[in-house]
Amino acid sequence: MIRLATDVGGTFTDLVGYDESSGELFTAKSLTTVRNQSRGVLNAIASAEEACGLRTRDVTFFAHGGTTVINAITERKGVRTALVTTAGFRDVLEIGRGNRPDLYNLQFHSPEPFVPRDLRFEVRERLDASGKVILPLELDDLRPIIARCKAEGIEAIAVLFLHSYANPEHEILCAGILADALPEVTVCASHAVSRQWREYERTNTVVLNAYVQPIIQHYFERLEEALMKRGLTCPYYAMQSNGGISTFDQAVGSPLTLVESGPAGGVAGAARIGDAIGESEVLSLDVGGTTAKCSLIHGGRPTLNVDYKLEHTRIRPGHPVQVPVVDIVEIGSGGGSIARLDDRGALRVGPESAGSTPGPACYGLGGKKPTLSDAILAIGIFDPATFAGGSMHLDRQKAADAIASVATPLGMSIEDAAIAIIDIAHASMINALKLVTVQRGHDPRDAVFVVSGGAGPALATRLGRDLSVKATVIPPHPGIFSAWGMLAAEPRADFRGTWFSALTADALTELSARFDGLEAEAIAYFAKGQDADIRFTYQIEARYRGQEHGVFAQYSREDDVQSFAERFHANHERAYSFRLLDAGIEITTLHLEAVLNGPVITLPKLPGTDRSVDAALTGHRDVYFGASLGWLSCPVYERCLLGPGQSIEGPMIVEEATATTLVQENQVLEVTNTGILIIRENSVKAG
Amino acid sequence: MTAWQNPVDTVTQEIIEGKLMATVDEMGIVMARTSMSPVIYEVLDFACGLLTADGELVAQMNGITLFTGTFGVQVKALIKKFTGNLADGDILLSNDPYAGGTHACDFAVVKPLFVDDKILGYAINVAHYLDVGGSVPGSLAPDATSVFQEGLRLPGVKIVRADVFYDEILHIIGENVRLPEIALGDLNAQVATVRVAARRMAELSVKYGAGVVRAAFANLLSASEMRSRTAIAALPDGRYTATDVIDGDGVSSVPIPVNVVVTIAGDSITVDFTGCPPAVAGPINCSRGALQSAVKTIVKAMVGPQDPSNEGWFRPLTVIAPAGTIFTAEKPSPTGWYYEGSVHASELVWKALAPLMPSRFSAGSYSSLCVVYISGKDLSGRPFIHIEPQHGGWGASEDRDGADALIALTDGDTYNYSVEVIEARFPLRVKRYGFNIEGGTGAGRRRGGFGIVREYEILSEDASAYGSFGRTVTQPWGMDGGGQGTVNALQIAPTQGGELRTYGRVAHIDLNKGDVLRVITGGGGGWGDARKREPLLVEQDLRNGFLTEAQALSVYGYNREVSG
Repeated sequence: MIRLATDVGGTFTDLVGYDESSGELFTAKSLTTVRNQSRGVLNAIASAEEACGLRTRDVTFFAHGGTTVINAITERKGVRTALVTTAGFRDVLEIGRGNRPDLYNLQFHSPEPFVPRDLRFEVRERLDASGKVILPLELDDLRPIIARCKAEGIEAIAVLFLHSYANPEHEILCAGILADALPEVTVCASHAVSRQWREYERTNTVVLNAYVQPIIQHYFERLEEALMKRGLTCPYYAMQSNGGISTFDQAVGSPLTLVESGPAGGVAGAARIGDAIGESEVLSLDVGGTTAKCSLIHGGRPTLNVDYKLEHTRIRPGHPVQVPVVDIVEIGSGGGSIARLDDRGALRVGPESAGSTPGPACYGLGGKKPTLSDAILAIGIFDPATFAGGSMHLDRQKAADAIASVATPLGMSIEDAAIAIIDIAHASMINALKLVTVQRGHDPRDAVFVVSGGAGPALATRLGRDLSVKATVIPPHPGIFSAWGMLAAEPRADFRGTWFSALTADALTELSARFDGLEAEAIAYFAKGQDADIRFTYQIEARYRGQEHGVFAQYSREDDVQSFAERFHANHERAYSFRLLDAGIEITTLHLEAVLNGPVITLPKLPGTDRSVDAALTGHRDVYFGASLGWLSCPVYERCLLGPGQSIEGPMIVEEATATTLVQENQVLEVTNTGILIIRENSVKAG
Repeated sequence: MTAWQNPVDTVTQEIIEGKLMATVDEMGIVMARTSMSPVIYEVLDFACGLLTADGELVAQMNGITLFTGTFGVQVKALIKKFTGNLADGDILLSNDPYAGGTHACDFAVVKPLFVDDKILGYAINVAHYLDVGGSVPGSLAPDATSVFQEGLRLPGVKIVRADVFYDEILHIIGENVRLPEIALGDLNAQVATVRVAARRMAELSVKYGAGVVRAAFANLLSASEMRSRTAIAALPDGRYTATDVIDGDGVSSVPIPVNVVVTIAGDSITVDFTGCPPAVAGPINCSRGALQSAVKTIVKAMVGPQDPSNEGWFRPLTVIAPAGTIFTAEKPSPTGWYYEGSVHASELVWKALAPLMPSRFSAGSYSSLCVVYISGKDLSGRPFIHIEPQHGGWGASEDRDGADALIALTDGDTYNYSVEVIEARFPLRVKRYGFNIEGGTGAGRRRGGFGIVREYEILSEDASAYGSFGRTVTQPWGMDGGGQGTVNALQIAPTQGGELRTYGRVAHIDLNKGDVLRVITGGGGGWGDARKREPLLVEQDLRNGFLTEAQALSVYGYNREVSG
């Protein structure tokens, strides 16, 4: 009864396994094998077998997250792809939205499309916005296209016809003919990937889906074969961007759903931790080497981004894709982020990162530039000797020398410059955390703050204090939390479609019927039959008449016009600060979340102990808390020796193999009976 | 003042600057998501900013270049008018083209941000309203001859007092515009954004103290000024000139010559429009505020394109222009289509400076936003107005072909309109949206980018259109021996087999059901000698259908047999 997860990251492949009957835990790390990620996965499994006795044959659940899809896209290494589209519109993919977010750049260009113009083909056909056929599909137009695709060695074809979200019949017919004529070629029709309007966004979605599908199919085949050979024959699941998992077969059908699978694992884990401590509002932060990612879990469910774009920045339009992706705000502040003075002498941190090679200066691998990790070491939070379980010795002098390169010009001491570096990273993390909470109408005071990643727990309690969160929570295994989160994820699918109607009693009747249809699709998707235990959540995107963008509000099967309208008004007000009681309400999109109920990971209970907390005390260390408090001596505790129900006042440090947690003065740390660390403000003292 | 002479440490400075950007971005998100007008939510024709207590811009969202320099002039005009007469909880509204505004359609909502009973700064949101009354639906008659035909003007009024809307003014707006529900909805959204800004700035002041925040504003401005001066000082001193022609004013099609002299001396830059003609009869005039903005856009492109914009960058700049010209129009000259004039002021400066810094500039572009209004009654008899700016070809630069189908300089983070959304909302069917291959682009070692062709079939019995396209005669300029780009056009192909009609600036076109309205935008100018274009690039254009074999031979001297 072992649940096993592997998470392929940019540098390392993490493995976490948990035996639910014995409570045994297995962890391993191996270097990511870039060209064929499945080798790194197998290496991690082998290493877990050797080092901690993982019994592969006992594995009953295998979840996998990786970067194969996003790498193929960002490195432009997908297959040779063609596009078949409505006559008159083959340039839509290349024109994009024509916007210039880089306002003052007179040499700006839109991003390159994934299908060049000579492989974009037009077919005569036309539907109107209601889905009515205006011009039947001209089958003769397909013949020369098929010939060209053969001649050009095309491996995948995307099909997009205008208004197929309202009526997919032309796409189905066309895709069928192409698939019959070109049996070796992957054919993707847009309606099968997205039922939302906006032709550019849907075209880009189906094109990217086609572009990566043969790659992911091949990858999963190889991985399956290798896993079988190792005797790992349980069901295989892929971590999806929506915070849930799917079978490999399902993932191959819509590979774009894997685009942000790693970060989504962390969000799934944070939701599980929230559930374990009885909290439905969770703000999660994962501080990696290059970036920090934050996300909000509301009502126990991850929030989805309605407007996801790949490679999008402030000055780049990016590539929009219409697939459900957990709403993650990512900023360029991670442990490896480099601190420097800009050309006007101001201190900046990130987005450049020292990565894992050369890494922070304190790694002693040749890095000379000061990073956030060097700053954390310089003020005493990290122990140079026990970092990463003692596997890596940190050089405090090298960190100080590197920090001197910014401290000297600023006329600051090393420790004050280190605090300045941390302050700047802290401020950008606060901006991002507020973006997912305050700016979207959620109050951080209602949320617990789950922090993971190598450098996260060192920074967590000050961030939590600034945000006035209910509590700061350090989950088990914070350094490999994305992989742990994949163990906690449940099979999930999202069905979203554009459907346009005024909010009336009749519309609600029809809408209910449409949700029935989506439910049937979900049941078919899980292939478990009518009796499958599926948890459905219904969301409706609605807007005030005249508005274009909507707000999602939950819909219940018992809703009447008034009860749903009230929920919509409340959501609109929370998001945008006002309601328009006189304006009509229009429905634009239906969204069904379907989660297959099954056993979820249990958290092992800590064995009870009659030892005092002193048994976990391993020493004392001086930590610099800034100019006003100065250096304070902090007791250091070993996490795995702490017992359930124990509580310790800050300032103090908790160490474990993958992370170091700093608890501030006037805060209290409490250990739950499952070993989760919960840190709250010491209200008695503070008050 | 130089940086760091006041009590803000470098870390606090960095944190406050980050917060300013986060605030203007947040204002933008709220606006885009709650607005009622397609021009705002789809085309994003709006911008938000924060200014000092003296009306100097300190932060601006990514939106529209044309608002680069208007905020300061607008807020300064309001400060002058309301000195001593502002209280916490007031919000002002202005759409006066002659007081820093642009045209009557742009409503500026300004909130003084009070901290401890003193004004810390101002938050502003300017948005293009779908209709503000006047002689035609959409308020922009291409042949207007006075501002009184261009709709309701509210040149600086208190729309909110003590946090409560002033109903009389809402009533005036409601009675004077054609689509009051949309106008008032947008006003609501605008007010929500400046209130968000007020909350964020109050939080900042509580945390660091208002004195520190003020000092951080001053530091930011002087740091940008220093960087701007350094960039200008690196350019060779001298006098640089350019001329251009504006293709008609909407009332007449007589060509309008315009000119500029740009002088770089040490670390400052002077831009002189003396010699440009007096204000014209038609509405393509712009006022001094828009002219300032047009010039600042190009200065910013030259000195620091990717850095956040603020007034500091423009301290080394002086703009000289006599009053009452086409670029400095005064009441009651019409300014409805002011951006059709102001873009030429930008392009003059651009053209004059391009040879100095090829790494930052490109050749001439299609320039005009080519805006078309299609209005009438939809199939259920309800009125509709569809406004759309169109994307077009940009000029080549020294080392890259020009960009295809990009929004003109005047706008910025401006999206084209989704065909599927248009067809669901308006009685229109789009027959074609693609590159304007037939029109071609400016040839060159690097060629210009392609414009677009967009065709609408009219499905309604009751519809008409108007529009104002520039560069319909005078082609985008080429650089360094590159060819000129191609021109824009508005065409009507009547359903009953009548003759194809071609327009530039046109005040009214009656449309019949089944007529096809065709928007054609031009390609950009080329850079360098076409004969020096690498055969590989010519072949790529042939493969993509951008060139015919005959053109490849005649323009580029490319012959497949010879090149193999």
